Amino acid sequence: MKIIAVIPAFNEENRIEAALLALAPHVTEMVVVDDGSNDRTVEMARKTPAHVLRHFVNRGQGAALQTGMDYAVHVLGADIVVHFDADGQMNPEEIQEMIAPILSGESDIVLGSRFLGSTVRMPFMRRVILKLGTWLTTVLSGIAVTDTHNGFRALSRKATEEIHISLDRMAHASEIIDLIMAKKLRYIEVPVTIRYTEESLRKGQGTLGAVTILKDFFKGRFFDGL
Amino acid sequence: MIFQALLITFAFFALAKTYRQYAHRKVSLYWSMVWGMLWMILIVVACIPETTDILAQYVGVEKGADLFVYSSIVILFYAIYRVIVRQEKIQRELTELVRQIAIHEAKKK
Repeated sequence: MKIIAVIPAFNEENRIEAALLALAPHVTEMVVVDDGSNDRTVEMARKTPAHVLRHFVNRGQGAALQTGMDYAVHVLGADIVVHFDADGQMNPEEIQEMIAPILSGESDIVLGSRFLGSTVRMPFMRRVILKLGTWLTTVLSGIAVTDTHNGFRALSRKATEEIHISLDRMAHASEIIDLIMAKKLRYIEVPVTIRYTEESLRKGQGTLGAVTILKDFFKGRFFDGL
Repeated sequence: MIFQALLITFAFFALAKTYRQYAHRKVSLYWSMVWGMLWMILIVVACIPETTDILAQYVGVEKGADLFVYSSIVILFYAIYRVIVRQEKIQRELTELVRQIAIHEAKKK
């Protein structure tokens, strides 16, 4: 059983090496997709056993995830793909719980939820915005998940074949939820821990980022079929 | 009067240019005809501005100049819409290209 982690990375030189080394024992292989970083992310990632792919122009996290999935499935022959972050916010030990429903044949896709699980030091505004985003996804997609914009996911091979991310930037999270509905995939949410550190907060999505995600999401619906 | 003269001079210049480009096979017959017609209409309008009023009244607008402004806005809006759609398509193609190169490069290693 090949479990391959796909890690999109953008300017993560300080954190990626540690994150990958912590992740390595929990997966079969790792695929890092550097999304046009202008720091030493690639160099740092190459110090680890991970496969390192490079977008020479920044195309956004959605695009990087799709590149990583294509490589993991079609080149490395993954049975399960795990979406993981490069910044050390996620706990690799939870991968076992994330993939369990796929191994048992219960689900095609497993979504991590920090609202079912625990969060360490989540700022109040972040919580409000994530809740709003999740509520909006429920309204638009007709699917009730507790944490839409959580980047921790596990996908069976079947799910990777059905899900093709076309929204380049952050709105891909809502797109994945949309696709779960459209393709009638079996999904389950599993509680995960997201650890907020000062550095990850500084770099992460600001409050204004939520507006951009919303804009991209509607644009995606508008331009669907192009 | 001066504006009319300038307009006519410019139209003749453009007409000659269009013909030259067609002669050198830089544009197709179709497009040189379209542009040629456009410049000739401009010459007629510049000589007898009242002609536009006839058309304007026919479609229900009072003055020819108004008709020109109204239709310009509509055409511009449509043009912008086309540009946005096209730009979005190019963005997606660019992403696809970047992604394929990334995978291709990684396979080589």
